[in-house]
Amino acid sequence: MVKNITIFTTNTCAYCAMVKKYLDVKNHKYEVVNLDEQPERQAEALALSGALTVPVTVVTKHDDSREVVVGYNLAKLAPALV
Amino acid sequence: MAETKDIPKHDVIMVGAGPAALAAAIYTTREDIDTLLFERAVPGGLAAVTDWVDNYPGFAKGLAGLDLATALQQQAERFGAVIELGEVLKIHDEGEWKRLETTSGDMLARAVLIATGSDYKKIGVPGEQEYYARGVHYCATCDGAFYRDKRLVVVGGGNSAVQESIFLTRYASHIDLLVRSTVKASDVLQHDLQKYVDEGKITVHLGTTTDEILGEDNKVVKVVGTTTETGRKIIFETDGVFVFVGLKPNSEFLEGSGIELDHIHLVKSDENLQTSMPGVFVAGDIRSGATMQIASASGEGATAALKIREYLEGREHPVQN
Repeated sequence: MVKNITIFTTNTCAYCAMVKKYLDVKNHKYEVVNLDEQPERQAEALALSGALTVPVTVVTKHDDSREVVVGYNLAKLAPALV
Repeated sequence: MAETKDIPKHDVIMVGAGPAALAAAIYTTREDIDTLLFERAVPGGLAAVTDWVDNYPGFAKGLAGLDLATALQQQAERFGAVIELGEVLKIHDEGEWKRLETTSGDMLARAVLIATGSDYKKIGVPGEQEYYARGVHYCATCDGAFYRDKRLVVVGGGNSAVQESIFLTRYASHIDLLVRSTVKASDVLQHDLQKYVDEGKITVHLGTTTDEILGEDNKVVKVVGTTTETGRKIIFETDGVFVFVGLKPNSEFLEGSGIELDHIHLVKSDENLQTSMPGVFVAGDIRSGATMQIASASGEGATAALKIREYLEGREHPVQN
């Protein structure tokens, strides 16, 4: 079960918009960390994903385990939301 | 294989949901032609990840690529277009019906529009794959924010390379633009580029190949290039590399289908935008002879939709699911 979801995004990222739209359709709430507005959190996104890219979606489960999905990757995101 | 009667049927299936397919879908769905679009990445295609579109008619001040893509999608959906996130893997000609193998299973369509567009090409040098998304990038609007006050190398000399270099100046402290021959971007973009060159934000290196991307401690630190005139090696200190060296057509799924491709794997068509497979049409960047412009892709999409309507009218009644 999903406890919370955080998405690291930027203002201009089309794939971020797609992830948010997918989560909206699936009725998931999420927190957005906009790296254009909060550049100090870039290192956090990099540490979580190992990649200098967005979107990075962090799905935290009720047992506090985490799934990190890099990019708009429904093959990874969909199962992480179960 | 499932019985034909059990396979979902549509009047039109569009492969891709970029400007060509979305424009086509606006026309078909507005005329109540049942239309399904398959998109494997992001609706709007490369337009959606383009920073700024300055030459799409009707927008005097230009607009963000993402805003244009979103508006096209919303307009198509307003008339009833359905966009399915998935991939078409094969197309088979079964006469009146075209059977599409997709990631959601087989589907049947009376007519198909191929509008899969292109993706950015890779340069194929050592280090490119190794540092992908960790210093080597193909999407400035996605990944540029990680290079605030950093040095960047941009590879390419066409419209995309120049436009995305200008976009990246909002983050980077300096950009070295490596151009293999000469800058081939439009005059307007070259004029814009000159302003950034004059300000010292971008340095253009003409006649310079990109040979290798080097890293240390899991980070990109250098690009090795060669000046083609003298053969001299040049080292560019950098924190990241953005590559815009042209487009690769998304036509792999058509190999073996019988649909004729040209020598660079773009889809051939007749004057009705119909391919060599009757009932299968093509529009946008994937079409042989396309001008690779968002405006022309949209126009071709509209034309293809009208030709598809003519094709369907010459056939039997529309789909009754």
